[in-house]
Amino acid sequence: MEPRADATPLYLAAAVDLQRAVDWLADTNARRPAPERLVMPALFLRAVVTALRDVPELNAPWATDDQTGQRRPVHLAVAVGRRAGGLATVILPDADRLALADLMRTFREAVALVRGGRTPGELAQATFTVTSLGDQGVQAVFPSIVPPQVAGVGFGRVTEQPAAVAGAIVCSPVVTATLAADQRVTDSQRGARFLALLDERLQHPEAL
Amino acid sequence: MTPEQLRDVTLHLLGEIAPEARRRDLAPDEPLCDALGLDALDVLTFVIAVHDTFGIDVPESDYDQLDTLRGCVRYLTRTRPGR
Repeated sequence: MEPRADATPLYLAAAVDLQRAVDWLADTNARRPAPERLVMPALFLRAVVTALRDVPELNAPWATDDQTGQRRPVHLAVAVGRRAGGLATVILPDADRLALADLMRTFREAVALVRGGRTPGELAQATFTVTSLGDQGVQAVFPSIVPPQVAGVGFGRVTEQPAAVAGAIVCSPVVTATLAADQRVTDSQRGARFLALLDERLQHPEAL
Repeated sequence: MTPEQLRDVTLHLLGEIAPEARRRDLAPDEPLCDALGLDALDVLTFVIAVHDTFGIDVPESDYDQLDTLRGCVRYLTRTRPGR
């Protein structure tokens, strides 16, 4: 890979079929008491964190590279819609160390705090940003890159889309995932790899 | 608890999630998600508050019965343990 010298963001988008994730979520939540239930954005976050393991250059800081063999922690910033309009951002420190259930609980509690009017944690430590506008109705979100971060991913609304499966047209829930990445640290091939990994992880929600 | 008390507790729980619920005079049949702009995460947070307050575990398949204040009061009246 020959990194470019300019900081022009690279944008890549992929549609991800969520039929398996939706079915798994309904089945799992039916067997869990309310405090242990999951929402779809938590699956997105977990898929992002695990995909970043395989494409670590998208996770800042890129100046101090991992030649020391040390873990690069994922401190996830998550931008969600605010009822009054605009975005509310929460920070989930060491998100890569949280199993799905813990990630869900941390996310839920953090969002409840900021939506209730309290200030989020230290956003400056974030190494990657996920924007999830979920129910706000847009199909795709083009995230901006917040320096010193080098990438972010946006998830639009989950919509029913027709797809050809085994020669027949069926409708399934689909989300558009859009990656913005700094071309000085990555390229379209690696970006595409990241989106393919997201897709792959969301096809196997039981393994998240 | 009387229906009025259940309504007041419901409003209090909603107000913890969406402070607008305290300022707005919600009509009994007004759809809560639209009126307060609740998303799936807010709905889950509300269901957990109902769980912690009333000891009722509302299954996902019943969420649509909590879509208005009147619906909440009716549901809580029907399912509350030791009512």
